[in-house]
Amino acid sequence: MDELIQQFGQLRQQLKKNEVWRNVDFGTVLTDSMRLPHADEGGKYSFHCRVPNIDSYCVITENGYCHQSLMETSEGIVYGSLRAAKEQRADLVALVMGRGSGSDNPYRRMNDAGYSDGVFIYVPQGCHPAKPLQLLSLHTAEASLFMQCRNAIYLGDGSDVTIIHCDDSTNQHTGMSNNVTEMVMGSNAVADYYKLQNINDNSGLLNHTYVTLAAGAHLLSVGITLNGGTIRNHSEVSMMGEGCDVEADGLYINDHIQQVDNYIYVDHLHPSCHSRALYKGILDDAAHATFNGHVMVREGAAKTEAYQTNRNILLTDKATVATKPFLEIYNDDVKCSHGSSIGQIDDDAMFYLRSRGISEKSARTLLLYAFCDEVVGRIRLEPLRQRLSDLIKQRLHGELVVCAECALACNSHCGCSDSEFTIDPTLL
Amino acid sequence: MSLLSIRNLHAYIGEREILKGVNLDVERGEVHSIMGPNGNGKSTLAGVIAGNPKYTVTEGEVIYNGKNILDMPVDVRASEGIFLGFQYPVEIPGVSITNFMRTAVNEQRKYRGLDPLGAAEFLRLMEEKKKIVEMTTKLANRSVNEGFSGGEKKKNEIFQMAMLEPTLAILDETDSGLDIDALRIVASGVNQLRRPDNATIVITHYQRLLDYIVPDFVHILYEGRIVKTGPKELALRLEHEGYDWIRHEIDQQ
Ligand SMILES: Nc1ncnc2c1ncn2[C@@H]1O[C@H](COP(=O)(O)OP(=O)(O)OP(=O)(O)O)[C@@H](O)[C@H]1O
Ligand SMILES: [Mg+2]
Repeated sequence: MDELIQQFGQLRQQLKKNEVWRNVDFGTVLTDSMRLPHADEGGKYSFHCRVPNIDSYCVITENGYCHQSLMETSEGIVYGSLRAAKEQRADLVALVMGRGSGSDNPYRRMNDAGYSDGVFIYVPQGCHPAKPLQLLSLHTAEASLFMQCRNAIYLGDGSDVTIIHCDDSTNQHTGMSNNVTEMVMGSNAVADYYKLQNINDNSGLLNHTYVTLAAGAHLLSVGITLNGGTIRNHSEVSMMGEGCDVEADGLYINDHIQQVDNYIYVDHLHPSCHSRALYKGILDDAAHATFNGHVMVREGAAKTEAYQTNRNILLTDKATVATKPFLEIYNDDVKCSHGSSIGQIDDDAMFYLRSRGISEKSARTLLLYAFCDEVVGRIRLEPLRQRLSDLIKQRLHGELVVCAECALACNSHCGCSDSEFTIDPTLL
Repeated sequence: MSLLSIRNLHAYIGEREILKGVNLDVERGEVHSIMGPNGNGKSTLAGVIAGNPKYTVTEGEVIYNGKNILDMPVDVRASEGIFLGFQYPVEIPGVSITNFMRTAVNEQRKYRGLDPLGAAEFLRLMEEKKKIVEMTTKLANRSVNEGFSGGEKKKNEIFQMAMLEPTLAILDETDSGLDIDALRIVASGVNQLRRPDNATIVITHYQRLLDYIVPDFVHILYEGRIVKTGPKELALRLEHEGYDWIRHEIDQQ
């Protein structure tokens, strides 16, 4: 095993007493045959997102490396490989990297020291791109890999951008990714950030997201974990000016012995900011989920509104959840609440649906789907919302598998058949 | 052969016996009314017929359409034509009435070997049935029963009945919570859905509903048994005299 991989495996020992990191365990993901990727494995993957009506500026990172040269659109958007951007547009890269947003931690430091490549996106001031930007991180190599990507996103003042960010495996090889995404939002910038994760049951993903918002910026983030062996989403959001708005929602559907751990830290430093986090999860078999939410309201942050909710449905006795929403408040002029729940499928609702002739399986899917819909419904990009609805239906039917392409591009040949069960309200 | 034939039915909820030997026969084309004091087992009987798993049947049989249904799953009973109008309809956030009904109609059709209805056909059917209970479109697009008023929930039950066209409808206090106009609308809906080959059981506390839905028989369910059966006039007597005289009669036996 490469020294770097060993080092990663040992971080857990160091962090055993760390409140924020002690649950994180990628020990079972790391294997002896795991190695670092080579810069030249990949680049052959041609991607065409099959979500109908989504045409995007797309950047693919394959096995830790991005093979796309740096592009500049007529609107002034610069996007492509981070390595390339550092060589060619160091001035722009400096707007994001090294600005020290979010907290320090050993996993992040490892990424700092050893990331291979990743995606850079620069959106100029006032820009409203006609198309969404899409980041795709794929594990395509026929080998077990340890990957560290670094993504840097700069959204200029008053820009308004939709970003789709997908992490997928396209085969059953074990992958471990320690990815860091930093995003800097200028004043009054608006970002709809959709994160989709569909990796195989053996793989691990430690996904760090550090976002800073200048005054008046608005972040909508919806993260959907469809599948994955061990996933940790570590998100830190800092509102660095007045009047920011953060809506951060998450949905996770896990089965077998999968583990998913969502950590979100929302920092209110200035007055009149609003944040809301809604995380929902469905856990089947012996899956385990952790939710750690932390809202920090600082002394100067008067008129803060902050809400945090985590809801879970456990489908078996063996599935488990540890949920800990937490508010830390240092001023009086705030409206805050937090709550969490862990429950089962409601028997009365089940009986009601079945009493109309709906089979147990369909009734269950309907109820679980309805549970998910609250999060999926936040997606403002209609074709994406549709597609995710379908994927979630498939997932709830146990049909969704990791296929030769990313989940969004997947079509029927890989077993992700369109479900016969049509429950899309917008069509009716 | 009766459409429904219940013999010596005993049912428990948890450790507690609620039904203690119910006998009841319902023929096609008939309307039966079940009355009785609170907490004496009316909803339990309805729930046992519909197949609510929270009740345990320990004795007796329920023969519907020639089949013993006690081992049938809830949804199969529904597809066989049994419909329960709930006393307390359940709120299901996130599931629209439209999707709910489309799934129900098509699963029942599948059970009967029919092709599913396409979206357009289904919408047409829905429009037609909405009229029966004078339901507004706004209601139909909302989540099932979520935030509905008491009366709206009851209307929604009859709307579902109209969509599913059951052979045996059991309406559990469908009249409670309805205003005077709504009561008339709901009752007229139920009457429109009557056919010579189907039957209705209405559970109610009030004679008023029976002015609209005229029963062939009135049964009194008392302490887990049907202790008295009579013509519709029995309901009138209950309205005037309450249940004391029944208690008396039973004590004397
Ligand atoms: N979960 C339960 N545990 C214990 N007892 C229950 C439970 N559910 C219902 N019961 C009892 O079963 C009995 C019969 O209830 P049921 O709902 O059948 O009465 P009902 O005749 O429909 O009354 P009402 O006229 O008030 O609707 C009542 O005494 C009720 O309290
Ligand atoms: Mg009752």
